[in-house]
Formats: sequence, C-alpha cells, structure tokens
Amino acid sequence: MSAVTTIEPHHNNGVSLPWRVMRLALRELRSGLGGFYVFIACVALGVLVITTVGALSDALKTGFARQGEAILGGDVTLARMHARATPAERDWMLAHGRVSETATLRAIARRLDGQEQALIELKAVDDAYPMAGAVVLKGGLALDQAIRHGDDAAADPILLERLGLKAGDHIRIGNAELTVRDTIKSEPDGIADRLTYGPRIFVSLAALEKTGLVQPGTLVRWRYSLKLPNGAGEDAAALAQVRLAAKTALPESGFSIADRRDPSPQISKTLERLRQFLTLLGLTSLLVGGVGVANAVNTFIDKRRKVIATMRSLGATSRLVFFVFLAQVMTMAAIGVLIGVALGILTPALLTALYGDVLPVKAEFTVSAATVATAAAYGFLVALLFTLWPLGRAEAMSAAVLFRDELGAGRTWPRLGVIAATALVAGILVLCAVLTSDSRAIALDFCAGITIMFAVFLALGHAVARGAARMRRPRRPELALAIGNIAAPGGLTRSIVLSLGSGLSLLTAVALADASLVNELTSRMPDKSPDYFVLDIAKADYPAVSALIEKEAPGSHLVEAPMLRGRLLRLKDKPVEEIKAPPEAQWVLTGDRGLTYSETVPDGSKVVAGDWWPKDYSGEPLVSFEAELAQKLGLKIGDQVTVNVLGRNLTARITNLRDVKWESLALNFVMVFSPNALAQAPHALLATVTLPKNTPLETEVHMARALGQAFPAVTPIRVRDAIEAFNVVFAKIMTAVRVAGGVTLLSGALVLAGALATAQRKRILEAVILKTLGATRRRIIAAHMAEYLMLAAVTALVAVVLGSLAAWVAVAHVMEIEFSFSWLAVAQTLGLATALIAVFGGIGTWAVLRARPVPYLRTE
Amino acid sequence: MSDTIIDLSNLHLTLASRAGPVSILRDVSLQVGRGETLAIVGPSGSGKTSLLMVLAGLEQATSGRVTVAGQSLTGLNEDDLARVRGANIGIVFQSFHLVPTMTALENVALPLEFAGRRDAASVARERLAEVGLAERASHFPSQLSGGEQQRVAIARALAPQPKLILADEPTGNLDTKTGGLIIELLFAMQRQRQATLVLVTHDERLARQCSRTIRMADGRVVADEKARAA
Repeated sequence: MSAVTTIEPHHNNGVSLPWRVMRLALRELRSGLGGFYVFIACVALGVLVITTVGALSDALKTGFARQGEAILGGDVTLARMHARATPAERDWMLAHGRVSETATLRAIARRLDGQEQALIELKAVDDAYPMAGAVVLKGGLALDQAIRHGDDAAADPILLERLGLKAGDHIRIGNAELTVRDTIKSEPDGIADRLTYGPRIFVSLAALEKTGLVQPGTLVRWRYSLKLPNGAGEDAAALAQVRLAAKTALPESGFSIADRRDPSPQISKTLERLRQFLTLLGLTSLLVGGVGVANAVNTFIDKRRKVIATMRSLGATSRLVFFVFLAQVMTMAAIGVLIGVALGILTPALLTALYGDVLPVKAEFTVSAATVATAAAYGFLVALLFTLWPLGRAEAMSAAVLFRDELGAGRTWPRLGVIAATALVAGILVLCAVLTSDSRAIALDFCAGITIMFAVFLALGHAVARGAARMRRPRRPELALAIGNIAAPGGLTRSIVLSLGSGLSLLTAVALADASLVNELTSRMPDKSPDYFVLDIAKADYPAVSALIEKEAPGSHLVEAPMLRGRLLRLKDKPVEEIKAPPEAQWVLTGDRGLTYSETVPDGSKVVAGDWWPKDYSGEPLVSFEAELAQKLGLKIGDQVTVNVLGRNLTARITNLRDVKWESLALNFVMVFSPNALAQAPHALLATVTLPKNTPLETEVHMARALGQAFPAVTPIRVRDAIEAFNVVFAKIMTAVRVAGGVTLLSGALVLAGALATAQRKRILEAVILKTLGATRRRIIAAHMAEYLMLAAVTALVAVVLGSLAAWVAVAHVMEIEFSFSWLAVAQTLGLATALIAVFGGIGTWAVLRARPVPYLRTE
Repeated sequence: MSDTIIDLSNLHLTLASRAGPVSILRDVSLQVGRGETLAIVGPSGSGKTSLLMVLAGLEQATSGRVTVAGQSLTGLNEDDLARVRGANIGIVFQSFHLVPTMTALENVALPLEFAGRRDAASVARERLAEVGLAERASHFPSQLSGGEQQRVAIARALAPQPKLILADEPTGNLDTKTGGLIIELLFAMQRQRQATLVLVTHDERLARQCSRTIRMADGRVVADEKARAA
C-alpha cells in the first residue's frame, strides 16, 4: 500500500500515464537497437510475406479490373457451349451496343502431307473482333489482313514449330485447307477463352464454317462481347443493369455472363483462395519468428534488469515499468512492420520486372489499404503475443530479485491480467485468420495445427534439456561438453528445437503433400486411366471410329458416352448464384459442366442411395447426382435440379446418388440423366481409349493420324499431354507454396541465428576456459558439432513425424487422395536441418575460435 | 632448483587499438627457476596480466623469446599451445572460470580428459579431496560459494601436476578470510609439488609471501626483488 501512496502524487501532477510511458521509453531507447536486429528481422520477414502475397493479389486484381475490357474484348460478354446465338438473342445484344462474335474449340491441325498433326485451340472471330485491345502479329500484319480471306489463318509460332512449317505454308483443319499468313505475338482476350491445351489459331468465322467442325453437339464455345454505347461500360451501374437485363430478357439462354469489372470470376476466385492460403503460411512464418521476438525480449529484459530494479526502487509501479518496456518493444515491432510492409509493396514490382511475362495479365503496381492493414495487424499482434509473457514475468519480480544475478532469479508467472491479455491476443489472431478465410474449417485446422506444432516443440525442447541433464556423463569430454550445453538452463536447446522444428515441420508437410499430389497426378494415373479422350465423335461415326482404332491399335479398350455441355441454373428452385457452397463444391455451380445420359449405371460408379431408372423409362426427367457433391450442396433424393443445355432449361428430379472414382479419369459425370431427358438433343459422343500395355509410341502416333485423316472433325487428346499441361500450372502454384513455406524455415533460421548470437559471449568464454585447460580447436569444434547435430537430429526427426502427420491429414482427409510417403522429401528435410545448423553453428564456432581469449578472461 | 621453468628475453607485446598500436610489454627479460614463487606487482595497466597471458601462451609475443618448461612458445600454433598448457601449466583466475554446465568433479577432470588420461575421474576425486571439497563433487558451480569455486579452480589447475602455476589475482573476488585460506592452500600445494608459482597481485602482503617479486610499470620490469627470508 505504501508504494501506492508514494506514487499517487505523481499521478495527480498533470502528467498522464501514456505520456510518462512514452517519455521514459524514448529515453531508454537511447541505448540503441542493439540486440533487436533479429527481433526486427523476424517481424519484418513475416510481414513481408503477408504484404507480398496481398500486394501480388491486389496487383493482379487491379490488373484484371483495369484490363477487364481488353480481357473480355468488350464491356460485357455472354458465352455458352454448343449453341450459337439465335437471331432473337442477337437482336437483344445489338440493341445494347456493338457486338463481336467468337467461337473457340479444340481441334487438330495437320500438315497437308498428313505427316504431322497437333492439338490446337481454334478461335474463329468476326470482323468486329477485337473491340478492345489488339491482336499483335509477329510479321506486322493486322489481324483482319491475316485472316481476311476465308482460307487464311494466324497461328501460334509453337504450332508451326511442331508441324515443321513456316509462315506462308498450308495446314489442314477439319475439311478446310488454310494458309498461315502470320504468327501470333499476343492476344488480348486469351484468358477469357480459358486457353489450356494447345496453341492458338485465329481464323475467320467463314473459315470455321469451311472446316465443317461445327456440328450439332460439337464442344464449341460461342462468346459474344458487347461494347456499350457512349462509354457506359465505365459505369458499374450500367454494367450491372445490362447483366440483369440479359438475365430477364434471355432467361433460358444459358449464357454465362461476365463484365469488365471481374472478367474472369473463376480466376479471381482461385487467386483469392491462393492469397488466403499463402497468407496463412506467411502468418506461420511470423509466428515462428515470434520465438525470435520472445528471445530478444528476454535478452533485453536480462540486460535491463538493473535499470528495472532501479526504476522500481525509485518508486515506479510495476505497471509503469511494464508499459515503458512494452512501448519500447512495440516501437521495435513498428520498425519491423514498416520494413516488412515497404519491402512487401515493392516485391510485386520487382517480380513483374523480372518475370512479368509469366503472370496472366499485366500486373498493376498497387496495394490496397486492406493488405497493408492485415499485414501490419498480424505483425503487431504476433509481436505482442510473444512480448507480453516475458515482460509480464519481469514485471512480477521484486526489485531485490532483479538486482541479483540472473541465476538467482526464479521463474515467475505474470499477473492474471497479462495472462488474459496474452490469451486475448492469441484469440484475436485465430479470429483474424478464420474470418479472412473462405474456408473457416481449413483456417481453424491450420490454427489448431500451428498450436499443436508449438506445443510439441516446446515440450520437446524441455524434454531434451531435461533428458540431457539426467544422462550419465559420457567419457569423451567433447560429448560431455555437448550434453552439458544441451542441458544448460539458459542454453540454446529450447530456441533451436522450437525454431528449427516448426520451420522444418511445415516444409516437410508441404514437400510431402506436393509429393503425394504429383504422385497421384503422374505415376499413379497412367496405370488405370485411359490414354486418349476422343472428342466430338458424331453418333453415326462411332462404329467406324471404333473399328479404325481397333485396326490401328488392336486390343484397345473403348468406352463411349453421350457428351453435352450445360450449366447448372437452379438447385431446389434456388438460383445457383444465391447458393453458398463450400469452396470444394463451388466448381460445380460455376461454368459449364459435362452432361450425359445413360440407360445403365456407368462403369466406375456405384449407386449408394436410391434406385437407377428402369430400361425404356419415359416419365419425368430424372438425374443421378454424385453423392459427395450432393451432400456438400445439400441435395437429397427427390430434389430438383435445373440445367441449361443448348439454350433450353431442363429440370430433372434426383432419383439416386452415386459414388464416383474421379481420379480414375474414366468417363465420369457429376450428373447422369435418364435417356429420355437428353437423347433428343443434338449431341456428339465422347470416348476414352485405353491402349494395350506397352503400345509403342509409333502405333499411338499412327492411330491418332489415321483417326484425323478419316474423321477430320474428331479430336483425340492424349491424356498424358493434358496431365502435363495441368502439371505446368500446378508446378507454378506449388512453387509459390514452397516459397511461402520456405520463408518459415528462413524465420526459423533467423531465430536460430539470434539465439546463437545471444549465446555467443558465453560460448567464447567457455571455449577460452577450455583452451586454458589444454583443449585443442578440434575438440572445441567437435563439442559444438556434437551438440548441434544431436539437437538437429532430434528436432528433424520429430519435424518429419509431425510434418508427415500434417501432410497425411491434408492429403488423405482434406484433399481425399492417397497419401504417399516420399523418402526424398524426408531426406531433403534432414539435409536442410543439418545444413542450416552446420552453417549457423559453424559460423558461430568459427567466431568463437577466432576470438582473442585475453579480453574475456580479464573482464569476466 | 637450477632448472629454469620460465625464460623470457627481450619480450615485446604490442596490440592494435582504435587509436593505433599500443605497446603493452617492453623489453621484458626474466628467468624463473623450478619451485620458485614469483609475485608480479604494479599499478593497473602496467602489464602484469598481459605478462601472465604471454606465459600461458594465451597471448602471442610480438617479438622476443618465450620458453616455458623447456618448450619455446614462439611460432607454436594454437593447438600446440593448448597441448603445452595441458601438460605444463595450470591457471587460476580471479573470476574462477569454472564450466557452469559441469559439476565440480567434472571441472577438475576436464584437463586430465583432454590429456587422454583414463584415470581422470579418480585423480579428480583425489584433488577435490585435497582442497577439502570431496563432499561437493557433484555440485554445479552455481551451487558453490565463491571460496569453494576458487578451491575447485585450484584443484583443476593442479590436477595434471603442472610444472608452472599461474594465478591472476586469485583472491580478488573473495573476502579477506576466505582469500587467506585460498592462498594458504595454493602455497601448500605448490610446495608439495615443487611447482613454480607466478602470482599477479595488488596485495603487497601477499607478494611478500613469495620468494621473489618483480615490479612492473609502463610495460617494463622496474624492480626484481628477492625476499630476504626466501
């Protein structure tokens, strides 16, 4: 009580607490940033990752929005599969502005001599195309010059290279023979056409006609770009109005509509998911860096013990002392946040300058306030989380204890308020992570995973130190020294285990998840999946196609199914736009889906609820829905779904649910209709071809060539090529994930470096003493290496177990694919651990051995 | 007593500093025989401790000759110097400098282990008993008093039976009574082993207990006095 009465007059003399805190904190900061470099670096690194991820996403988003007009080739686009716009639909469009029509489809381009052929993405355009942006050709021709005549084309140079041709040569597409006038340098609206498989070829709509590829049921995507009059496209309200008008006026058209504000909702959505996921990884590296923050604060408090004790003995309340030091630490955090944000903002510009071509659109150099605020908030929250506890402990110590030596200071718990504040900050962090994620479940899993990881490595650190203390002393002095250091109360053990362990766990998890995915995509598939998808087989041609394949590649197994593309419009009478589906089921609701009908349960599917329709069923349209997606979308037997096929709405009742093995790449569909629902619609067949095992490439090439020559409209797609095309995109995403995950290890390394630097003085003194007792340098190096390697081995082993467990949960339970363990990934982790500790420890030991002994012996 | 344990001639030590090179020891020549006890006294900064460090091979002389126990230290690398220390020199510091992660017994055994002795533990136990700390063998330095820590340090310095004992203000961190007891112990053990003792001190009374005293000022030996009673 007496302390309170002596302090009270100060409270009333007009100087407020925050002011006094700031004044004292600034005075205290005169001692400089020494000892805080690692602290600042830890905060800066985490904030840098989060800012970079946010800034990149902002840049791409802004790029999308700004270049939306060029990406769409107009202000608004209406697109659908199969059916070209009817005259009535065209009239409606023309009433709203200028219109440009394009058609895209996959096809095969061949040399005239039939020797070479390649899968292409054919794009047929009208005279009005492009209404925004420009197609740039390498030879300098304008697009309409290059494809003006019905039998001209402009092609991606890659295609000419594949076919061994040059500009001016002829190619055959379907029934048409075309002259390639020029090669394409850039195309403004490539993304809107979802270019995926092959190189692009531009032709006129007239040339498309000549190819004869467009038949009823062909998988062709018709897209109509609208340019609104008088610059109305700049106005968001006008754009929204046109979209609404399209929906009202053309309710059954089945067009998917996009406008220039968000030209590719799917890409935007994917980017947003990637941003959220990478932000969580950034948060992890920030949290791992938090260990460095806590270490730095502990060292800071140790150095300031006497100052704290002096302040306390002069009448400062423990709370005042707490806030004075908190203000100093938060000032350091602010410096870290500032550096992180500044560098993060600059990174997209740097990446654009270095790898600008890789990005799908020209990224704009812009960062949203939300990105900066999120990164800064995470930076401050994590710094606070790891600062409160050590500060709280110092606050709780009596002045007498603080004056004594470090060894005399017992472990103290902070007061309840500080414990509650720490819990509150942790809670806010979890809340931020969960609220900013689309998938709350994944964010919660992530937070739980991080908590478990920290708990495991904290416990491991204690266990290792305690175990070493209890161990019998080995005979070899090097080992005895190493174990002594591992057991030492203020030693490096806990820091190394926690920082290295968490970084390595995350990296192992990422590496193993990556390995499982790659394995699933490459090595596992060819065994059980078909070798070719053959698109656009006219029903009448199927027997001949089948016979030809059998003749060219005897023993091939063919499976065929009717194939139509359509969009889901309503589930249980609720428009799909209003349905909030979990992220993993969202894809069903957006874009075109493949639809089929079948009299019997398709191969590779199993009915798990309800009954299949009888043969020759002729009642109301029925549909079979994939069981897991039905559950995620809240659908059950008896519910109605409405799809738009070929410009007509079709409503069917769910009569059964199927389990589907998607990864088999067999002919699988989310929705299989009763034959009476779709059989009358014009459609083509899709077939899968499984070649006999060990079919030589030559036979394969010959078969594809013969197929192309006999049936020019049929498009065979090699599954392996399609997987490879996907793998390229996948590899890019995994690189981003690996980089973000790798930063966590970098944070761990920083913490490690910080901990080693803090311990350096003690280590030098120890080495000097050993030298006075006759220890050679080899012995000292051996002692250090033994210590580091033992710690690295224990940490890496636990990290591998924990990382594998996390990867298994993510792969087997979240992604639901088979988990495959990769020794290579584990070896990489162990190698990295050894390398890191050898490098950092090695640098430390080198400095220890180089230090002049005398000053240490004199001053200690 | 004729064999020479320390032989210094024209020793110079110059160290680099921010203000330029500083001459720490200037033209020091000194011979100390086996079993002699030598006190080095002088004001702060006169070069006492530096001289001790050169003798220990922890500081390399800039020029001149340094021979300890018949072994020239000139030109030896760090590891050779460490071996020379391990075999011939025991050092006692003002701040004890025990390895904090090791028990008293382990600290004493350490130089013997470095020398590859199989009987390190048993010899260390005997030495600890000699300094009266047999009961404290399993205690860590932090669990010992200052006087006890210095006794462990003496036991450790003398464990390999060195020919030369170097002590740098060995009582500087201890109260008068404890310091007295430590000095008694140090001299007793020196006599028992017929080792040479070199003692850096500020304390004239302590210096008088030695058979010989050299006085240093400004890096030079300014006086070399033999005790009358010696």
